[in-house]
Amino acid sequence: MNKYIITLSVAFSTIAAFGQLDRSNAPKPGAAPEINIAEPEVFELDNGLKVILSSNHRQPKVSFNLVFTSDPALEGQKAGVSELVGQLILGGTTNRSKDEIDNEKDFIGATLAAGSSSIYMSCLTKHMDKGLDLMLDVLHNASFPEDEFTRIKKQTESGLLSAKTDPNSMASNAVSKSVFPSHPFGEVMTESSLNNISRQDIIDYYKSRFIPAGTYLVIVGDINLDKAKELANQHFASWEGGVPYEADYNKGYFPENNRVIFVEKPGAVQSVINIAFPMNIEPGHEDIIKLSVMNKLFGGGGFGTRLMQNLREDKAWTYGAYSSTNINIEGSWFSAAGSFRNEVTDSAIYEFLQEFENITKDFVTEEELELNKASMAGSFARSLESPRTIANFALSIYRNNLPSDYYQTYLQKLAAVTKEDVLEVAKKYITPKNLNIVVVGNEEVLEKISRFDGDGVIERLDEFGNPASKKEYKEASIDKNEVINNYFMAVTGQKKLKKAEKALVKITSMEQIMTVKPQGAPIELKMTTYFEAPNKKATSIEVMGMIAQKEVFDGEKGGSKTMNQSGGHDVKELEASEIEEKKIMNAFLPEIGLMSGKVEYSLLGIDAVNGKDYYVIEYVVGKSTTKAYYNVETFMKEMSESLEVTEEGPQNITAKYSDFKSVKGIQFPHTISQMVGSAVLDATVKEINLNVKIDPKKFEL
Amino acid sequence: MNKYFLTGMMSILMLSVFGQTQKIEFEEFTLDNGLHVILHEDKTTPIVAVTILYHVGSKNEQQDRTGFAHFFEHLLFEGSQNIERGEFDKYVERNGGTLNANTSQDRTFYYEIFTSNNLELGLWLESERLLHAKVENIGIETQREVVKEEKRQRVDNQPYGTFMEEAFKRLFKEHPYNWVPIGSMEHLDAAQEEDYVNFYQTFYVPANATLSIAGDIDIKEAKELINKYFASIPKGQAINLYRDFVMMDDTSFESKYKLSKSIFNKENFFATTSKEGKAAIKKYENTPTVIPRPKVKEPALEKETVDVIYDNIQLPGVFIAYHSPAQNTKDAYAMEMLNAVLSGGTSSRMNKNIVEKKELAVAAFSFNFPLEDPGMALVAAIAAKDVSVEELQNALDEEIVRVQTELVTEEEFQKVKNQFENNFYSSNSSVAGIAESLANNHVYYGNANLINDELKMYENITREDLMAVAKKYLKKDARVILHYLPKE
Repeated sequence: MNKYIITLSVAFSTIAAFGQLDRSNAPKPGAAPEINIAEPEVFELDNGLKVILSSNHRQPKVSFNLVFTSDPALEGQKAGVSELVGQLILGGTTNRSKDEIDNEKDFIGATLAAGSSSIYMSCLTKHMDKGLDLMLDVLHNASFPEDEFTRIKKQTESGLLSAKTDPNSMASNAVSKSVFPSHPFGEVMTESSLNNISRQDIIDYYKSRFIPAGTYLVIVGDINLDKAKELANQHFASWEGGVPYEADYNKGYFPENNRVIFVEKPGAVQSVINIAFPMNIEPGHEDIIKLSVMNKLFGGGGFGTRLMQNLREDKAWTYGAYSSTNINIEGSWFSAAGSFRNEVTDSAIYEFLQEFENITKDFVTEEELELNKASMAGSFARSLESPRTIANFALSIYRNNLPSDYYQTYLQKLAAVTKEDVLEVAKKYITPKNLNIVVVGNEEVLEKISRFDGDGVIERLDEFGNPASKKEYKEASIDKNEVINNYFMAVTGQKKLKKAEKALVKITSMEQIMTVKPQGAPIELKMTTYFEAPNKKATSIEVMGMIAQKEVFDGEKGGSKTMNQSGGHDVKELEASEIEEKKIMNAFLPEIGLMSGKVEYSLLGIDAVNGKDYYVIEYVVGKSTTKAYYNVETFMKEMSESLEVTEEGPQNITAKYSDFKSVKGIQFPHTISQMVGSAVLDATVKEINLNVKIDPKKFEL
Repeated sequence: MNKYFLTGMMSILMLSVFGQTQKIEFEEFTLDNGLHVILHEDKTTPIVAVTILYHVGSKNEQQDRTGFAHFFEHLLFEGSQNIERGEFDKYVERNGGTLNANTSQDRTFYYEIFTSNNLELGLWLESERLLHAKVENIGIETQREVVKEEKRQRVDNQPYGTFMEEAFKRLFKEHPYNWVPIGSMEHLDAAQEEDYVNFYQTFYVPANATLSIAGDIDIKEAKELINKYFASIPKGQAINLYRDFVMMDDTSFESKYKLSKSIFNKENFFATTSKEGKAAIKKYENTPTVIPRPKVKEPALEKETVDVIYDNIQLPGVFIAYHSPAQNTKDAYAMEMLNAVLSGGTSSRMNKNIVEKKELAVAAFSFNFPLEDPGMALVAAIAAKDVSVEELQNALDEEIVRVQTELVTEEEFQKVKNQFENNFYSSNSSVAGIAESLANNHVYYGNANLINDELKMYENITREDLMAVAKKYLKKDARVILHYLPKE
């Protein structure tokens, strides 16, 4: 390597050069280089298949992409068929099992991928024949084996599970459904629609959509025209099939007034706001470049956009706010979105609306226009480095009926966009009084955002964008106090309330030892609880003899101690408000606290869980809301659900109580199964001792 | 029998193809001030990548000042003597370019990509950053908050996002790989302006930098421009004498250097006519900059450690971490191949057996952290619904034991070689990627030309070598196991 090095030490004198150079001004760019966009080759086979070739010999690699052009179909109760096809088509053929496909593909280092309307293969040029052989086998002979179908369905179900808690998926589902009702864009896969999909549905889709007519074969890379023609004729010319599916759809829903759509995410600390509306524009329209400039400076990427400057740089309400245009033959829309703290949700909507008003009223400044145009021109030029870009240009020209020089003249057209143009397209396409304003968040923001709705009535959707129904409870024939009183009698085994209360008062202290096994973890925890009337309590959790966590309250003060990663402990004292809560709720049973008259609680009604009816009592203490479930026949508490809003977001805890046994006449559940988020903890009571002497030190940290 | 013969033949054929690939031509030289320059001309597209690599990463940090290297990646966009605060990225965007930077344990890398008529602008921006960036409180305060947001988003809020930090701190007790580049927010808060200035003066000097440029350039013209903007940057400690002259008030400067500021030229520091001034500049030019680099060798692990980490996740995960060989050693290349057998592609062992056949995981993977000093090898999986970490751990161990006790098949071995060949071409498909590879290869191996020879490194490796590294590095009694469980 030494031979490459030429030391320039003598040639240039450091000091002189430093003195002569004026660094204070940025150098001006030289003359703009000529941007040449290579012309791809295009030819058609007899069966209607169009071939687009972009040759590029920089790397000895080649790729083949089949793009099918059927219109999307309405899937209704089976929403999701098209999403599953892509994965399943690689799941086996009449010639090869999935294992064989995977092995042969990996053996040549190839990529083989598929979607609802494409199959893609790329490999080194020297492995082209083998790669094509695999691609063709999948294309012609996919067999959709039953076991793969089952496996992929199972995997997709787990995916839906996590999408249900992801506010961004929830918002995008609500936007699709709101902007495009009765339209394929407005269909969202749910657990039940996934369940409705049969293997035959997948096969039918594959047979009717993966056909040569209307299809493009896009070839990119290290291959010349003659070879491409030869291969296309050899492998794709004899392929036969039906005609592409065609359908017409509405162009999206413009509400008469602004419309607020709310999706509840219990306990959310941030709201996702997504404001969307359809646009009456199709690919190839002359306004598109002007519209893209307008979108870029409005919120289309980078820090200098209006949304970012206003909402992030100026107000610091969000990490980012962006806008986008989506232009398709089937329907086009504009959307502007971001995540915002609960407290500023309504203010943020107000600012979005202001920005929509401003862009449709006033000229943009020359400076922001020039900066954003330059940025777009640069990114266009950089995109040309990839040979795929050239092929995509050609594909877009054909699919959207663009003039053949559309991309050759793109930079001129971009340079010609004026501030008058930007205002014109903003006025034409942005309708600041007909917006779909989707908000995914905590119910507490609801009241403040209703003012943005034209008729003041907010529509509520669920996580998949379907109308949300409020939970219905059956009416109970007794009142809340009777439920609790009956519970006291059930716990103590007494027929009369007075006797039950007496039995409870007699309990002055308790020691309880449980073992806790987190499902899936190779550990067992020991949990010890001490109670001393009226409200002293201490709980400690031990892992392998070490105290991992301890919580105490001595009637006046308390706190918690948690082992941290470095082996030490994090200690937290109770705050004043928490002390007040503990004084009341640390009673022997939380229900005793409820009856103190210091806590609001209500009877929601009767709810059926797994075929059993329960009275449901709800109460709020501090940041946590609890629902307790009492069996309508026995009055025993068999379940409780609590939702606690922590700084890290909402946390759901569900506890199920069973295996009730009497200890000195009091019924205690001996098996408690707790679900914290998605983790399951199984606790078994080992020992309960009542009215024993407890060392006061137990209530200290 | 026939099948074996065929595969054997194929491997011989394949090997002879290695190394016959189109060569990436480049030129390199070192300026008098120590800056190393690499130039690669490729006129296919009229764009240019201007990149600069500083050989400083989190392993060069003091243990009570972690996160500094990464912090500088943010701070050095704040501006310079001639670039107003907040203007650095505007210069780039206004001229249609894009820019970014990244930091590892070993190095910090900055780049701009523009149309080729902006080469000079790129050189000016990078030379300003190197010569006299603004390292002062106002920028430090702003970037502290941004870095905290970054940590929340990319580490704390990312499912399993802490595994790097958790694994490295258990694998390395002596070596500064103990911490990861994002570092400690408390350290960043505790640090004073002076600490930041020291870091800049120590590591951001020409002798610790490699300027690598690739794309539509004219080599002769590029050299002239590089001389204009970079050869003029002072060598040795003279750069810091100059920086202090600019940044310090008279008293502080005098007390540090025992020299009066008046002996230098205010307008043009190096054009002083004072004899004393000239002598001082000469003296500091001849005082070399010394880059502190850790020499400590991490002792081998002597037991298996199992720890549970609670995270905001839905599905449990198992992460098994080992000490790995240093990059560019034969063992490191063998480990790369072993990883590909375990988890490269859908036909790999871990995907086939653990994800598809046993359906124990939604994803299973293994990889090496390619670091300058011996780093980390990782084998990991995310559990499928209702699968326990024990089951998953057993399945991973089964695969590890298999590569330790049985040779990988001829076919798997050949498959991996073919995959590497494919990756080799994919990685050199952009000028920015080429510029970065050239710089990495020069800094880590003193051989930029490795970009052309990398595939050859795999030629001498045998299936037996794969088994040997599996035994040597993936030791059961020298590893850290992290069980990620949903938070309570």
